[in-house]
Amino acid sequence: MFIAAALLLFSEPSFGQRVDECLDCHLSLDTPQAIKFKFDVHRKKGLSCADCHGGNKRSDDMDVAMSKSAGFLGVPKTNEISERCGKCHNDEEKMRSYGYTGPTGQYDNLLASVHGEGSTTAGENIAQCTTCHGAHGVRKVSDPKSPVSPLNVVGTCARCHDDPGYMRQYNPSLPTDQLSKYRTSVHGLLHAKKDPKVATCVSCHTAHTIKPPDDATSSIYAENIPTTCGRCHSDPEYMASYHIPTDQVEQYRKSVHGIALLEKHDASAPTCNDCHGNHGAFPPGVESISNVCGTCHALNAELFRKSPHKKVFDERNLPECETCHGNHDIQPATIEMISVEKGGLCARCHSSSSNPKGYKAALAMRSLLDSLVSSYANAERLLDVAEQKGMEVEDERFALRDVNQVRLQARTAVHAFNLAKFHETVDKGLKIAEDTKAAGRAAIDEFYFRRWGLAVATLIITFLVIVLFLYIKKIERKPNTT
Amino acid sequence: MNRLYQWFDERVSLSAFIEFIKHKEVPKHRHSVWYYFGGVTLFLFIVQVFSGILLLFYYRPGADTAFESIKFLMTKVQFGWLIRSIHSWSANLMILAAFIHMFSVYLTKAYRKPREITWITGMLLFFMALAFGFSGYLLPWNELAFFATKVGTDIAGSVPLIGKPLLVLLRGGDNVTGATLSRFFGFHVALFPAIFTVLLGIHLFLVQIQGMSTPLNPKEDKKYDSMPFFPNFVLRDLLLWLIVLNILAVLAVFFPWELGVKADLFASAPAGISPEWYFLFMFQVLKMLPSHVWFIEGEVLGIVLFGIAGALWTVVPFLDKKSSRGQQSRFFTYVGIFAIIFIIVFTIVGWLAS
Amino acid sequence: MDNQSSPNGTKRDFLKYALSGGILAWLAAIFYPILAYLNPPKVTGAQVTSVKVGKIGDFENDSGTIFRFGNQPGILIKTKDGEFKAFSATCTHLDCTVQYRQDMGLIWCACHNGRYDLSGRNIAGPPPRPLEAYNVIIKNDEILVTKS
Repeated sequence: MFIAAALLLFSEPSFGQRVDECLDCHLSLDTPQAIKFKFDVHRKKGLSCADCHGGNKRSDDMDVAMSKSAGFLGVPKTNEISERCGKCHNDEEKMRSYGYTGPTGQYDNLLASVHGEGSTTAGENIAQCTTCHGAHGVRKVSDPKSPVSPLNVVGTCARCHDDPGYMRQYNPSLPTDQLSKYRTSVHGLLHAKKDPKVATCVSCHTAHTIKPPDDATSSIYAENIPTTCGRCHSDPEYMASYHIPTDQVEQYRKSVHGIALLEKHDASAPTCNDCHGNHGAFPPGVESISNVCGTCHALNAELFRKSPHKKVFDERNLPECETCHGNHDIQPATIEMISVEKGGLCARCHSSSSNPKGYKAALAMRSLLDSLVSSYANAERLLDVAEQKGMEVEDERFALRDVNQVRLQARTAVHAFNLAKFHETVDKGLKIAEDTKAAGRAAIDEFYFRRWGLAVATLIITFLVIVLFLYIKKIERKPNTT
Repeated sequence: MNRLYQWFDERVSLSAFIEFIKHKEVPKHRHSVWYYFGGVTLFLFIVQVFSGILLLFYYRPGADTAFESIKFLMTKVQFGWLIRSIHSWSANLMILAAFIHMFSVYLTKAYRKPREITWITGMLLFFMALAFGFSGYLLPWNELAFFATKVGTDIAGSVPLIGKPLLVLLRGGDNVTGATLSRFFGFHVALFPAIFTVLLGIHLFLVQIQGMSTPLNPKEDKKYDSMPFFPNFVLRDLLLWLIVLNILAVLAVFFPWELGVKADLFASAPAGISPEWYFLFMFQVLKMLPSHVWFIEGEVLGIVLFGIAGALWTVVPFLDKKSSRGQQSRFFTYVGIFAIIFIIVFTIVGWLAS
Repeated sequence: MDNQSSPNGTKRDFLKYALSGGILAWLAAIFYPILAYLNPPKVTGAQVTSVKVGKIGDFENDSGTIFRFGNQPGILIKTKDGEFKAFSATCTHLDCTVQYRQDMGLIWCACHNGRYDLSGRNIAGPPPRPLEAYNVIIKNDEILVTKS
């Protein structure tokens, strides 16, 4: 493809020989714009100065060629520049007629982007087409000399974005260190080695449709980021030369984080760049993983750092959180994770013969958690039964919340890998669950007490009714018997 | 025992009373069964008094505490659920028994001379019972009661001339608020019981001294069989009371009265707001009336008509001259049957509508 | 009529015993619930939805107190400046009960290190939403917390 493009580039001037008096004259005057235009892609497609500036390109008489009657427009100002580019580049049919097969509508996209907003200069948008593409020496993106070619675009964006004084006018809170961060990223390091395939600014931010990260239609909106990164990282063909896996996005989508972000739309869930960084994207190293996870999972990280596992993991060069939880496909933590069964997490290092201390602790922790869960379920079931029978158990339900809280705390407490402390945490919950169970049973007993009480009362009253009935019969028969 | 009896006899002449009771007779005929409904109503009233007093031990009036105290009563206090359910069920059964008592008396024309005063006090007692029901309904301060009271007092507010002052008097302000609750509580446990007791005293006293009325039957001018009031009739009364008590206990245990959710002054009205069943027929008729009849507002017309009907019904002994003379008065029988059918039909329509 | 000697006297006697026995049992059936009812339950006082949390003097500056609001926990915070604020104490993440941390000057959830600022906004950690805020009404020197 590159060869084909290159061939096209060099062969073009040969059929650009048409009447263009504007260029001829200006070249003879050494006008810098005209010199640049010699290499312009537009000229190679047969366009002339007059196609943007107006006028008659066939006349060599300056007064005729540059007269208003010939439609001469002069130097376009401000938004007129982009409007004029848009005249062709927004018109798919016209673009196809020049043999162009790429996308169109860039002008519309530019207007919708952050750069399409009003600049500090009244009546002008922040960026025009020429801001990035240049004016008279416009080259194809694939042309290495183009300011927007993969290897140049980073510098082109940085012209403004690396300039705090300039950026302050538009968004004082926006950082201006993107380029220096980028230089430290995997992308940036490869870029410095002149790799044109590696991600640049436009790979993530898009070229024309640049929108802020809080815009839901932006390519860098949290929920869109996996797709944006996946455009390259999920493409096995594209990534083949880098020898890294291409299933990260797919795994992430199925992970607890991916489901939280993409399905539950929980904006606090991490996406790719929350762990890898954005401009400084880099896979976290073994030693830094717990710091990365710890930005959100602070307690777990803190407990882990104090735990006996910390030293052992460091010695064996095991990544801290990742060793048990994985990376891209992190699943919701379950009690089942604490297991010394075959295939269980703890069993990877601990067995009854090797490292038996941890083996026993894991067994004990698991059984404590299991009994907490089953006590909770039992208590809840008893309360359900009581409620079904119409008994009021709101207070007990309130107490039961604490058991759930203990369960959640216990899940965190696991990371200290300290059985005695874990016992302490779980025992609190077990106690509450037992109390609640007792209360639930009492409520159910009360229900039966009411039913039996009614039965007894009804029996007494019915008995009294019968006796009274017989008594009335008796006294009313009296006149006959006496 | 004897001396004690004599001690009292010398002072309050018990023997005269016993003598009276001994000779009191209750007629026996095919309509005798209706005699028992007055007694049943009385019994349910007694149940109301006792269960009401018991509820007072835990009830705390006030918008902040009423609902919570009833909840507390029903969940924490031993047998609290029973007492409240009994009070609610007994109230409804009492109104039902009063309805039956009233219509049986009406259709047997027992209101005729000389029992006009008994009838009028009876009617007043009936209105009081409805007022008891209306005021008591609000006391748990739950959502349904709150809106039913709002609607109910609104209707009272559209009575011509006195409507507005009446509304403010009932609500203790322009809106149903905690002030209304305090007021209704006062009505329900102090004012109404006082009036009711006096009226009931007159009513029962007259029933005792005048004896039971016999059906109007000019053709067969025979003397009815009778049974002694004491002990025969009293024991039968007791028998029935026990059965009613049993029904009440079963209802209270198997269909405990719901508490619902607490009233929220600013919440929008939930669907299915309806008054207690004994107001339903009036509520339904008022709802079905066109918004304007001639130049009067439909609702106002309805209220006026119900008012006039109630007043005429109360003074029926003076209107029905024929039965006072001992003649059949078919017209009033038809009016009574019409009233029964009217109430039943519109209660059912209202019940289906909500 | 009591002194009437009737031919079937035993049956009469039986009826009398049955009647008095029945009445006694009936009285027991009536009075047992009533007496039990009058015996006040251990937990006294009804629970209230708009809660009186206490007197102003009961709370120190820079402190937080968990109180019961219906069947949910609430947290009353007195800031360093002596201002009262009340929130639902149920963490919006996984329903743990939050607490006030003097050292952070924040509302903090022990389960997953969720943090809320003193206007209830979730500022760090996993909580997805702010805490529900309650109104604090000060009547005389009584603190009343209500749900709006």
